[in-house]
Amino acid sequence: MSDDADISGGSEDRFLAAEYALGLLTPAEHATVAARLRTDAALRADLSFWRGRLAALDTQFAETPAPAAVWPELERRLFADGKRAGWWNSLALWRGVSAAALAVAVIAIGVNLATPRPDPNAFAAQLVAALSAQGSNVSVVALYNATTGQVRLTTISGSAIPDKDYELWAIEGSNPPKSMGVIPVGRSMDVKVSPDILAGFGPGTTLAISLEPKGGSKTGAPTGPVVAAGKAAQI
Amino acid sequence: MGTDTAEIADLIARCALRDRKAFRDLYGRTSAKLYGVTLRILKDRAEAEEALQEVYVKIWQRADRYVPGGFSPISWLVAVARNHALDVLRARKPRSDDIDLALDVADAGPDPEQAAANRGERARIDDCLGRLDADKADAVRGAYLDGFSYEELATRHEVPLNTMRTWLRRSLMKLRECLSA
Repeated sequence: MSDDADISGGSEDRFLAAEYALGLLTPAEHATVAARLRTDAALRADLSFWRGRLAALDTQFAETPAPAAVWPELERRLFADGKRAGWWNSLALWRGVSAAALAVAVIAIGVNLATPRPDPNAFAAQLVAALSAQGSNVSVVALYNATTGQVRLTTISGSAIPDKDYELWAIEGSNPPKSMGVIPVGRSMDVKVSPDILAGFGPGTTLAISLEPKGGSKTGAPTGPVVAAGKAAQI
Repeated sequence: MGTDTAEIADLIARCALRDRKAFRDLYGRTSAKLYGVTLRILKDRAEAEEALQEVYVKIWQRADRYVPGGFSPISWLVAVARNHALDVLRARKPRSDDIDLALDVADAGPDPEQAAANRGERARIDDCLGRLDADKADAVRGAYLDGFSYEELATRHEVPLNTMRTWLRRSLMKLRECLSA
């Protein structure tokens, strides 16, 4: 009986995490615990024990189709600036990205002119593309040299993401993207342009970088978000 | 199961990179589950629908906080939905008729993919809950799955509040021992 009295009181530390995880506390108690969790590592560990174990009960929540009105409303709330089906399918986005990339391209050209050039004739056969995208910090300048048949990629910003790889794509008009392989972000690299891509390669070709599973897309088409894109222009 | 979990984790990661297509896919694959959560806890279709919307706004905004390897991705999503629904519950004015108005939302049958992924953990908690008296195990489930507070549980089980607190705390002590074993 006295044992019962011991644990029936308003708050008892050793039950707090479990009670918090279960949602048993009153709003005021809940808020107090939430505040304590920020500084109390032991309590956090306790909470993560309970959350982890109780999550096994999640299977008991019955799947129920969500009302049809929710998705359109969500789209309106989050993406009020127009309805894009997806990054990849949006031609408007590609054009927008290329336009936005112009500023970067100008810088790229500036840098390019500053570097000593062995063969002045090669200059005419060079293409530059500045690759970037809204909402992404990856920005890369691609410089194609017809003499070597290589694209030199220089990272302006962006960093590697664990367990992911960046993949470079070339897109001619409305044809499906062709992979140019997995590329590092954070250092310069020369990519050999394969003959089938070279056939249509020129001003107006879009270069894009998508985030893919380690080793690159398994499907031969981009599967992840486009983190940077830009159109090649002659310089 | 395994691949499915990996795919959902991948969709969340892509949401963090502001990939709207990934968000749409994630919604398509998980909204029925999360609606199940908000509906079961809020027991009101209009409120559950509104909550579901808020939940996905949070998921879109906080996708970068998901840490692969901690929670399974679906558990993380369920936790976002469950915590939001509980917040809504707590913000509600206490209404004595809540319980009578309660929708009868049935337990899900075993969901094959989750069941397979969680079989070990699920069996374990079922086993541990099975060692408690049936009504006490029900109280724990009621708290987790229906968001019942001590007070509601006391009313439902027709015992004084302090008795319910004592029951549940004893049960939690036993559960912890069993789950840690």
